Amino acid sequence: MATVTIRNVWKYYGQTPAVKDLNVTCPDGSFVSILGPSGCGKSSTMRMIAGLEHISAGDILFDNQRINDLAPKDRDVAMVFENYALYPHKTVFENIANPLRLRGTADATIKERVTGAARLLEIAHLLERRPHELSGGQKQRVAIGRAIVREPKLFLFDEPIAHLDAKLRAHMRGEIKHLQRNLGTTMIYVTHDQLEALSMADFIAVMHDGELQQWGTPSEIFNKPVNAWVAGFVGEPAMNFLTCDLKRRGDDVVLSHHNFDIPLLPGQVRQLNGAAQAGIARMGVRPDAMTVSMTKPSEAAIQGEIFVNELLGGDMLVEVQLADSRIRVKTTPEFEGKPGEICYLTVNRDKWHVFDAGDGHAYF
Amino acid sequence: MASRDVVHYNTPLQRVLSVLSVVFVIFYLIWTLLPFVIMFVSSFKDLLEAFKLPAVGDWAGIGVFFEFTPTLKHYQTLFAENNFSRYMLNSLIAAGGSAVISVIFGSLAAYSLSRVDFRGKSDLFFWIISTRMAPVVAVMVPLFAIFRSLDLVGTLPGLILAYTTFNLPFAIWILKGFFDNVPYGIEEAQMVDGATRFQAFRSILPLVAPGIGAFIVLCILFAWNDFLFAAIIGSGGAKTLPVATRELVQPQNIQWGAIMAAGVVTTAPMMLLGLVIRKYLVTGLTMGAVKE
Repeated sequence: MATVTIRNVWKYYGQTPAVKDLNVTCPDGSFVSILGPSGCGKSSTMRMIAGLEHISAGDILFDNQRINDLAPKDRDVAMVFENYALYPHKTVFENIANPLRLRGTADATIKERVTGAARLLEIAHLLERRPHELSGGQKQRVAIGRAIVREPKLFLFDEPIAHLDAKLRAHMRGEIKHLQRNLGTTMIYVTHDQLEALSMADFIAVMHDGELQQWGTPSEIFNKPVNAWVAGFVGEPAMNFLTCDLKRRGDDVVLSHHNFDIPLLPGQVRQLNGAAQAGIARMGVRPDAMTVSMTKPSEAAIQGEIFVNELLGGDMLVEVQLADSRIRVKTTPEFEGKPGEICYLTVNRDKWHVFDAGDGHAYF
Repeated sequence: MASRDVVHYNTPLQRVLSVLSVVFVIFYLIWTLLPFVIMFVSSFKDLLEAFKLPAVGDWAGIGVFFEFTPTLKHYQTLFAENNFSRYMLNSLIAAGGSAVISVIFGSLAAYSLSRVDFRGKSDLFFWIISTRMAPVVAVMVPLFAIFRSLDLVGTLPGLILAYTTFNLPFAIWILKGFFDNVPYGIEEAQMVDGATRFQAFRSILPLVAPGIGAFIVLCILFAWNDFLFAAIIGSGGAKTLPVATRELVQPQNIQWGAIMAAGVVTTAPMMLLGLVIRKYLVTGLTMGAVKE
């Protein structure tokens, strides 16, 4: 177990920076997810922690010990690769036993540990097979088995379940989280799937274009995104954005759009700095922070026209056409509106966000 | 996936062509196999019987070829009088030695070229292949001069070195393709598991085994059948089978029987090798070329 500190780390590929001045501290025993789209530098970060890439600048520390110049084998980390990277010519048993064999562990101990890990992952009956005889989910379990068979300081999981089908992925999410809780080993888990990060991690580091956008608990990331990019990346269906004008009206500040004029809550007005109280801003609201109805519930309701309805099993997603943009609202399947009809949206003002129109940082 | 069968239409032209192709194959087989058959049969014949030929046009007289009393005396001449066991050993050591050395250095070099990026890599790789482009004859004189000044002429190490200069670029070239097809993730997993770079390299060798097997065969064939290097660099102390066979042709006496026997002795091991690893060789050579 270890606390992992990433301090002012840069990664360059030639002249191109892949990771820019990254600062993160992963507490001992925590489950940290690095979340971002492809090319955001999350895999580079993980590979630098594993020792598979040089660190261009900055330091990485395990428990205050600088590990920049240690070879991967001396870092005592275990990694699960996106493509599993099993040894095709070895049996499952030998695949899992490999890290122990390389450390010269006694045969009896190896047998005990491998069967133990295999039982934990429910692959004990597959030990004599070779990787090409396994399904994707089984291969992935073998790769995890290889990681947990010795007790490393740190687990590094690089999109381990990205190639599984949706049902198995949901199942493995729970299993991996459970496994990490039981072992208590610090885990860094790289993923591009915000659902995986939100559902499994203790802390999420959101990265974009090589820069850390936000560090926080899943609830902080989801409810208090620091900028429009994080807000738009996290959450499914994605947050709606509308470009609005901020106007001062007496003591109130009003968010003004072609279709509506809605005052901010008093606390929110204080969160705007003075300069931003007038001018263009971007309003963001999640599809589940609004309600849609066919009758006008209040004066503040936003009028729009239904563009299309999407039934998602237990939910209904209604796409509503406003003057120049469309926004999506989550409602129940009982919603009776038909495309082309006029509907009314009510925004939960506690849950909306206003972002700067320029750099996209969040006021609230 | 589309069917991979070649659609066959039974047109008259097709029927003619199929008959013609069978005829062609028969002639081709006679053309290629007859020399071996004559060599093999003659090596067991007394010299008088070997030169007994039917008259031109006398097809019935073809049986004359097979009317003989088998004798092993040519083989006895080879091994008892001409020291052929020594030459066979020389051939084996020269071919095997150069194959082993080429595989060791070739796999290391191919691995590096496949895995490590450095400036001038493509130029280096081209230079390595380009050493194979010059015909052996062109480099023979300078090579001989170098070897003579190093006292390597007429020694087995000298011959092994000469074969290695030609086999090594070939090894690097073939094996690089095989290493390129091994996913890098496997070594990375090994290294994170606790392996050194060299252990990681060794761990993926089983995955390029078909390539190594194919290369060893080609390398041994090259050295075993070589005459030029053996005659010039190996002459004297490191005489190999082809050179020794050539020496059976003497100005006043061409020892046909012994030459036939020497031909069998030289050819048979390679034919056996070919038969044993035939399947391996084909999969090995195509696996490097075709990405799965």
